[in-house]
Amino acid sequence: MSSCLIDRIALLLLLLAPAGMLACRSFPGVPGPTRDEAVTLEEVMDRGDDQRRASNHLVDQGLEADQLADAGRALDRYELALQLDPGNPWVYLALARHELDRHEPRRALASLDRCRTLLERRGEISPRVETHLIGLRGSALAALGRDAEARPLLAEARRRAPSVWDDGRLAAEELR
Amino acid sequence: MLALLRWLRLPLGLGAFALGVFLAVWLIRLDRTVVARFEGRTFKVPSRVLSAPSILYPGLDWQRSDLRGTLARLGYRQVQGVVPAPGQYEWDGRRVRLHLRAFDHPTRGEPARKLELRLDGSRVTALTSPDGRPLGAVPLEPEPVGLYYGPDREQRELARLEDLPPALVDAILAIEDQRFPTHSGVDPRRIAGALLANLEAGGITQGGSTLTQQLVKNFFLAPERTLSRKLQEAVMALLVEWRYEKPAILEAYLNEIYLGQRGATAVHGMGQAARLYFGKRAADLELAECALLAAIIQSPNANSPYRHPDRALERRNLVLDLMHRQGRIDPSSWRRARAEPLLVAEVTPDPRDARYFLAALERQLPEHYGSGVLVNEGLSIHATIDLRLQIAAAVALREGLADLEKRHARIRREDPLRQLQGCLVALRPQTGEVLALVGGRDFGVSQFDRCIQARRPAGSVFKPFVYIAALERAPAGGGITLASFLSDDPLEVRTPSGIWAPANYDRQFHGRVPVREALERSLNVATARLGQQVGIERVADVARRLGIESALPEVPSLALGAADVSPLEMARAYATVANGGVRPVVRTFDEVVDAEGRVLERRELSFERVLDEGTAYLATSLLQGVIERGTGRSIVSYGLHGALAGKTGTTDDERDAWFVGFTPELVVAVWIGFDEPQSLGLSGAAAALPIWARFVREATGGNVRGEFLPPQGMESLEIGAWDRVRAGLSGGF
Repeated sequence: MSSCLIDRIALLLLLLAPAGMLACRSFPGVPGPTRDEAVTLEEVMDRGDDQRRASNHLVDQGLEADQLADAGRALDRYELALQLDPGNPWVYLALARHELDRHEPRRALASLDRCRTLLERRGEISPRVETHLIGLRGSALAALGRDAEARPLLAEARRRAPSVWDDGRLAAEELR
Repeated sequence: MLALLRWLRLPLGLGAFALGVFLAVWLIRLDRTVVARFEGRTFKVPSRVLSAPSILYPGLDWQRSDLRGTLARLGYRQVQGVVPAPGQYEWDGRRVRLHLRAFDHPTRGEPARKLELRLDGSRVTALTSPDGRPLGAVPLEPEPVGLYYGPDREQRELARLEDLPPALVDAILAIEDQRFPTHSGVDPRRIAGALLANLEAGGITQGGSTLTQQLVKNFFLAPERTLSRKLQEAVMALLVEWRYEKPAILEAYLNEIYLGQRGATAVHGMGQAARLYFGKRAADLELAECALLAAIIQSPNANSPYRHPDRALERRNLVLDLMHRQGRIDPSSWRRARAEPLLVAEVTPDPRDARYFLAALERQLPEHYGSGVLVNEGLSIHATIDLRLQIAAAVALREGLADLEKRHARIRREDPLRQLQGCLVALRPQTGEVLALVGGRDFGVSQFDRCIQARRPAGSVFKPFVYIAALERAPAGGGITLASFLSDDPLEVRTPSGIWAPANYDRQFHGRVPVREALERSLNVATARLGQQVGIERVADVARRLGIESALPEVPSLALGAADVSPLEMARAYATVANGGVRPVVRTFDEVVDAEGRVLERRELSFERVLDEGTAYLATSLLQGVIERGTGRSIVSYGLHGALAGKTGTTDDERDAWFVGFTPELVVAVWIGFDEPQSLGLSGAAAALPIWARFVREATGGNVRGEFLPPQGMESLEIGAWDRVRAGLSGGF
């Protein structure tokens, strides 16, 4: 095989690879990359000043409690996280998730609003966190029976992060 | 003789019968008393209020957060050269080894755990487990704030026998009643021994009562020393022993026994005594501590480890010696405990500083927690109060008022009921938690809470609501931008009660002034005009949305604060602005837990958006201007730096002086004045601001955390005069 042919095959593969990846994502049943477009608390854990970092650790403890279905302890940890850093957007994201678990979609919508506002103000909003904001909003609206509004949001969250949002909900461990 | 006997037989028989009936009735009555007390609700247990917990984390300023003081108040004991046991710590220069005690709570419970803190200067640089694993944040157990007592003012925390250390029971039996397991309520050998000892001493030096008799004496009888009461005590002790098992009697004794005085309140039971003397649960008591509690039973005040430490130590060692002699402890434990110095917890902060908060909390609890429940049921109420801030608030108000009286002798009054008054309330704007509340100068003199129960004219602290109402509207619709100008020329408004013509504080008119300047200088006329321009009903609507619940008269002077409101309402309204237009629900507690550890009540974080985020930011920016250039600019001289916003307020005839302001994480309202309408002769900047600044400096350390950030899409531009004309921003009047 001449080196020219090898170069052409390589070029072709390079061109086809992104298309293949896109195709995989658009076909249901074909698993996409894990956590491709969804933020986790671990990524932001060590950002910010001392109080923010400590507050994030308390959010993590809350998510851990949620994972163990200990809702009372989880809520307590989120409130302690706010005691240390009342402007921490990650507390509100975790709270919104927690409130949906407890079938409190209205509260969840208010928490999401707080989360978005705080992230936007600090310029910390990113496509990876947007995925959860969209998905959680979709879940909250669905829980309120507003299916027409919920469906496109959930579909968008699923499209952005199928490994997380395929089941239409965000589990505590998926946010950790 | 026989005839006489025959003649007496009937009356003697009748007498004996009557005596028998009397004795039977007496015994039945005593027995009923015993049963009713034992089987009904036996103890009145005051409910206790606990603070928000302190949190340890890397980066914590341990000096400012008073870590040493917190540990002392929680009853942690400093040790040296030994591995700290639960409830102990070793502070070795730049390293602290801390063994946290277990803490029981349905959701906040923590197991006992060991921690290490590395210190550098006043900062905690690392927080790890003993194996070096970094820890992000560890909450400490909450601190006690106060108790709700009944009229008898008894402090008590119930303890179950099975939860108490065996050493405590052994120590008490060793010194008070060593044959308790075998006697039937009365111990003739003990009585004989006490009689002999008292005869030898020529007076009463030793008691012959068993534990059961002591319990009966405290439980059922008046504290008198008569023969008939002694007889009654002995009979009731026998009845108690006949009816109940030894463990039940012992448990009742351990919860009933009087163990000293704390101010005006009496400490009863081992649970409360363990808290008072050692700052810990009775279950966590160590041998030497058990011996000390047993030692003070005989005479808690005469043997108090606080007032008479030598006497207390001597008697504690006597208890240890008896325990050793009676074979209740082994020789090595005896030697170790005897060698221990007398260590007691630091006396907890004076609850006087939190009494207005406790009263406010009682009012906020749902109706079914009436005072009967609070003084009897032993509830644990987890409050939002930050004890460090509460103490700082009490000190700032107390010293601030004294300072004002010192500098202005004309406002000093000798009669405590007519003295200058004030109040301070601090909230966390994002969560609505009341962090500190001082409703007056001295709760002992006046229980009226001026932060919550008083309604005072708002004056200029109301003005921001006018500007917010105007900022919500487009300039074309009567609204303004921060680049607009207002007219401060004379104004007359026709009202049903005549012509209303507002004047400025300096009795001058200032012509055309920028919006910022109008609020920064608190110009009345410009603000009144703006109120007219935007509509008073809109101003009232903004105030209500932000959190003012008092009635608001929709009259032109409302723009200048002609409405009676409470400082708490004002704090809430400013909190809504500080929180980007999201109104929090004000909370003084988040949980009520019953004596069995069940959560009865929970107040969760709750908030609602009531104002556009951009408008809230613009209002904050205006209020920052007040601090930077306006009537609040003296704040800088108090050593405060960072994001600060606020507004002074002074009402007609200078009767009320206000300052309401915020940082990104703290909203504080201060009101100063007299209860009866009298002129203070001082402005808000002169009377209320210094107290506000003193408190916020203590709360923040002087450097405020965080900043006021604009919402996405909002930009800040410098606008020159020509730009205003081009942009058509000069409207507004």
